[in-house]
Amino acid sequence: MKIVFRIVLVAALAALGIWLWTVLFPSPEKVIRKRLTELARTASSSPGESDLARLAAARSLAGFFSTNVELQVELPELSRYSIMDRDEIMQAALMARSRTGELKVKFPDINVTVAPDKQSAVADLTVQANISGETDSIVQEMKFTLQKIDGQWLIIRVETVRTLSWRPQIYFHHFELCTAAGSFHS
Amino acid sequence: MPTQQSALAPLAGCVKLYGVMTHDQVEQSNAGSKQPRLHRWVRIAVIGHNPKVTLVRVAVLIVTCFIVFKFILLPIRVEGISMFPTYKDRSWYLVNQLAYLRHEPQRGDVVSIRLAGLHVMFMKRIIGLPGESVAFENGRVLINGEVLDEPYEKSPCDWNCPPVKLGPDEYYDVGDNRTMPQELHKHGETPRYRIVGKVLL
Repeated sequence: MKIVFRIVLVAALAALGIWLWTVLFPSPEKVIRKRLTELARTASSSPGESDLARLAAARSLAGFFSTNVELQVELPELSRYSIMDRDEIMQAALMARSRTGELKVKFPDINVTVAPDKQSAVADLTVQANISGETDSIVQEMKFTLQKIDGQWLIIRVETVRTLSWRPQIYFHHFELCTAAGSFHS
Repeated sequence: MPTQQSALAPLAGCVKLYGVMTHDQVEQSNAGSKQPRLHRWVRIAVIGHNPKVTLVRVAVLIVTCFIVFKFILLPIRVEGISMFPTYKDRSWYLVNQLAYLRHEPQRGDVVSIRLAGLHVMFMKRIIGLPGESVAFENGRVLINGEVLDEPYEKSPCDWNCPPVKLGPDEYYDVGDNRTMPQELHKHGETPRYRIVGKVLL
């Protein structure tokens, strides 16, 4: 009985040790996932935000990106735009927050691939955004490239992934907000 | 003491007298005997005759449900109107993930298309197969220049799209609701690996 007790105790201690190790020294993949989840939370906005809160949130959002970030976003329903600077992201975030009432952003699927040198990573994820007043959500697959800069994982490139690759002819002219999607977007 | 005895004597008689059960007492007694029996039946119904066997059954049921609904039949909820009227908004369906193990997707199949994962997917109908040319001309679908018969298409549409040549591993997917503006309707070529399974009606 004593041996069984000892074995159970050793197994429990080992499990606790492994758990503590993963908590204290998380893998880059785990850190990136957590960071991206934080990004989604920061990008979300609640109704009736003050200008100061909006500015703080926009600054916080910009903090997830490197200074020379490259954003190449192509959304048939929205627009095609590219941003090459962190300040531009902050301006865009401020503008978006002032235009939309309540915005809920989620990344329901995140696939992270860390480079062998563990200094860069690529995250393929689904962005799901719900705007207040709209019945359906916006869904888009995106690819984030991250780099470890000064011990912090920062986004250096964002690009849209074309799941269904038809490109409308009026793509660059017709920019209208579309709503559709959800847990199973038809 | 004798006084006390004599005083209690009538009470003793009373006890004896009421020792013969009254109607209420009979009912109470019956209820008392029924209660353990009922309790036993409830226990058997919930836990079964043999709790260990029931536990094994519950475990098997949970594992089976997990395997079936995770790897075979994926429950999904439709959000959006691009498959209307065939599939209505906010309705639930199942995706058969094993549908294309033995054969490749067919024209007319309604399939689920993955994005980064399986939590959010697109639901579309396959109209173009690998190697074919797909075009829209005044709302009609042209496959290799021939008009495609689409019995599921109920509403007129005015879509126009130049021919798209599909690659050897590409399918052309589109929703059934062609009444919505073309630029708001997500459709186009998708590689085979993105097709998760066939949606069951």
